Amino acid sequence: MNRQQLKGHLDVLLLAVVADGPAHGYAVIAQLRDRSEGAFDLPEGTVYPALHRLERMGLLRSDWADVGGRRRRVYRITSKGSTALAAGETEWRAFATGMGAVLGAPA
Amino acid sequence: MSAIDDYLDDLADELGGRVRGVRGILDETADHLRESAGAGVAEGLSTEDAERRAVERFGSPKLVARRLAAGHGSFAPIAVLTQLALALVLIAGIGLVGIGASGAVARGMGSVFGKAFVSADTNGVTYTAARCADFREYHPEARSCEAAAIAHHFDEVVNYRLAAGILGVAVLFGWWFVRRRGWGWPAAADAIPHGFGATVGAALFGVAAIGLLGQSLGPMVIGGDSLGTGQYLSGGVVAALIATGFGLNLLRILRVRAA
Repeated sequence: MNRQQLKGHLDVLLLAVVADGPAHGYAVIAQLRDRSEGAFDLPEGTVYPALHRLERMGLLRSDWADVGGRRRRVYRITSKGSTALAAGETEWRAFATGMGAVLGAPA
Repeated sequence: MSAIDDYLDDLADELGGRVRGVRGILDETADHLRESAGAGVAEGLSTEDAERRAVERFGSPKLVARRLAAGHGSFAPIAVLTQLALALVLIAGIGLVGIGASGAVARGMGSVFGKAFVSADTNGVTYTAARCADFREYHPEARSCEAAAIAHHFDEVVNYRLAAGILGVAVLFGWWFVRRRGWGWPAAADAIPHGFGATVGAALFGVAAIGLLGQSLGPMVIGGDSLGTGQYLSGGVVAALIATGFGLNLLRILRVRAA
């Protein structure tokens, strides 16, 4: 999937990763890469603007933790974020089913 | 200083201190880079190589700052207006410097092809006695009223354009100074599309080049008359070069965006 296609789905992907448990940015990027088996390997710096945007939208919230003398921002999904994630997942499944039907491939 | 410290300094510089929460952004970035470098060291890289890899993977500080600032910035309409004004000031400054450069080109043409090539009036133009007296006052060495007129017009073409060029340098310096201080570049760095200036510049100077080159080459090609065409040709050549510069910059921006 090229970067332009991924851009449209990035919010849902980030919400899905954070929904599994609080995580800081580096861990979110690593989990995204691992769970997608390398398909989603984003330029790391570009994920933070998306995380900050989701926080401003109220879909994530963050807290600062002290880790080995470093300040670490840890993100958690909010209830509004969980609702948005569920809606995003439903939309994606409907899209994937439709694509599969047209292309004759498994959804 | 380590690669990470250098990167953080560059990122802070790009953010310009006008983004809310910049301290948090830098702390978060530092945490990420140090963890990434730690992973590299665990894989067997040297500390230096691990840090270099970490910053490369993170992305250019300019691009990261632009995207971060887009969401953290000042009131959007003000940002749009400010950035539009700055883009247009830059284009105007470049245009004025271009006019200055065309004055220098016109002077060169006058030296090579004669002043009449640059500043002669079209055939059939005549002057009153009073006007001739004015011309001869400026150029007493001229052998005829026409020669004095050509010399006077040549001075106007060259000197006024060079003055515009000096003004353009001042405008560009002012633009650079404002950008450097971060006064006019609100934190919403993406308020206007990246490439706006290059697009407008390429279009404006492209149209100017076509008009000026047409004005100069038309009489030469159609009527075989080159008198006075140098004033337009000098402007057309410089406008074409500036348009090409903007066009190449636009291509570079589009290529980076597509990557």
